[in-house]
Amino acid sequence: MVSRLHPPAAMKLVLIPLLAVAGLFGQNGESADSGAGELNVNSRYTVESVDVANTHRYRLSTAILDEMHRLIGAHLNDDAVKRLASRIRGELRAHEVTFRLLRGGNPESVKLLFEVEKGQGDFDVSIPTFAYNSREGGSGAGAVTGRFGANSVTFAGLSNGDSLAERYSGIQAKYQRLSLGSDRISLGFEFDAYHEQYNQNTLTAIQNGSDSSSLGAGAYRSRMNFEPSATFVLAKPLTLTIGFSFEQLQPQLSAAPSESANAVINTLRYRERWIDSDDTNQELDAGYTLRAATRSLGSDLAYTRHAVSVRYMLVHDHQSLELALVAGLIYGKAPLFERFVLGDNTTLRGWDKYDLDPLGGNRMVHGSVTYGYRIVRVFYDTGAVWEQGTAPEAKRSAGVGIASGLGLFQKGAVLLAVAFPIKPGRVEPVFIAGMNF
Amino acid sequence: MTVSTKRSLAAQVLIQALLCLELLAMSATSEDLFVRHFADQLRVIAPRLHFISGKSLQRLHDGVIVPFDFQLSISAGTKTNLVSRSVERFSISYDVWEEKFRVVRLRDFRKSAAGLSAVAAEVWCLENLLVPSAGLPADKELWARLDVRSAEPKESMPASTDSGISIPALIQAWSRPPRPQQDHWTLESASFHLADLKQQ
Repeated sequence: MVSRLHPPAAMKLVLIPLLAVAGLFGQNGESADSGAGELNVNSRYTVESVDVANTHRYRLSTAILDEMHRLIGAHLNDDAVKRLASRIRGELRAHEVTFRLLRGGNPESVKLLFEVEKGQGDFDVSIPTFAYNSREGGSGAGAVTGRFGANSVTFAGLSNGDSLAERYSGIQAKYQRLSLGSDRISLGFEFDAYHEQYNQNTLTAIQNGSDSSSLGAGAYRSRMNFEPSATFVLAKPLTLTIGFSFEQLQPQLSAAPSESANAVINTLRYRERWIDSDDTNQELDAGYTLRAATRSLGSDLAYTRHAVSVRYMLVHDHQSLELALVAGLIYGKAPLFERFVLGDNTTLRGWDKYDLDPLGGNRMVHGSVTYGYRIVRVFYDTGAVWEQGTAPEAKRSAGVGIASGLGLFQKGAVLLAVAFPIKPGRVEPVFIAGMNF
Repeated sequence: MTVSTKRSLAAQVLIQALLCLELLAMSATSEDLFVRHFADQLRVIAPRLHFISGKSLQRLHDGVIVPFDFQLSISAGTKTNLVSRSVERFSISYDVWEEKFRVVRLRDFRKSAAGLSAVAAEVWCLENLLVPSAGLPADKELWARLDVRSAEPKESMPASTDSGISIPALIQAWSRPPRPQQDHWTLESASFHLADLKQQ
């Protein structure tokens, strides 16, 4: 673009309109090179895969994953990639999100890799879970997380009347060192302090001595937990977490001595997703957790708790299918918070957990199938919770609802559902609403 | 000779060496930009200028588009008396398979070149940065000044549209100093007279 100017003082005033007019009236007849439409020379290549570096550190929403998915199989679209990078940056509150192109498996394809730079430090205020159950009441948590380089500090307040036989309310404080020399090792230190509340059915069952052979401690009014741990990436995405849990239980009678449940914890976890080029998205989250409380750690209670969980999700176009299986068993006398419960917001939905077993059980197995079409969800749950030496009795339930999304790795998913226990006689539906539970 | 005297001498030698280097750099600057007369246009040659380098080159190797802004200014009589200038934005990308560069002049998308080496891409940009010679004062000393800077990634897209680049946006980009994250280069020619330039 060209301009002619003489008085320097008037340069800016004259330059802009002159340049604009000259721009409108064309150029100097240089030879045109047609086909320059796309700016990026790599736009002629097909996107073979889309990924985020260090993806285990981030949780992306289904909407973002879908957008990543849509890029696969198409020619590289620089604008679409930049828009997606901007969305990822917003969702992860990252300082910057850049991308790299790598050579694909064949000479006509490229791999797209996003890289997230979190910056020097940032704060995140979030509601990790919120749920309302017309039978149990509300449960929820609010958290503030600060990240400083590879360090993360989280403070959370919560009240949970859903996942255990007791309602526990209190605080969690957690420090994580996200990488220790290598991204394959991370450290965590967690401190929890909870106050406990019990359903009358649970208190009655304790007083009656139900399950006394396997219940490690009676009702306690509060518990504190200190849990140091280390997580190792064995072979991405397989991780192993090793640590200790030092739990102190304060009995309801203040004169009684406190009891401890000090355990070694081991968790093996595999978590992966596959985004295929034919509008198919698969996710798998499988884990095994062992908690072994032993007197060698100064524990008053001695028990071993095994728990297995597998969740698999398949999304194709607007349809989705989610299968979930959990199972567990306890040897020894475990306290209430370790015992298995069914009949909450995610298992045997529609049943009352205090009707099934007010103290929970030391054996449990549960399976769930959820089919989704667009925002509609239909689910079927079946499972049993029982005591060692007694016969399990399988229960079933079903429900229907709407959800903003489905999946293990999504963020901000909201579910509204009505669930019914499948049993003879009068049936009372349970209304469930919430997010991220 | 005391230790302090030795240190003082060393410091003086260092300062003189730095001054020499600075003078050398200044003289090199005037030798780094050469003006050529081509038809009715002035264009420049800068053999020592390699802006496809450093972070920009790394981003290009990552498959990212890197735009560069160019400004060629001609002054007459004194170096501050600007009489003509040309601004352009060139968008450069790197083929991750063929390992060659492609350049598009954003003012009109029709003008581009592909399959270039880094040096050839740099030369292509300068060959397409032109200032009309008509109207330049023939009787006065002239100076050419070339400014090159990598465009900021955030500003590169709003300035460009499907049909090219917004000229006011480009001028606005040149109206402020480069930001720390932007690579930038400035080269000045020795003084010249229009009549002394050979037509090519």
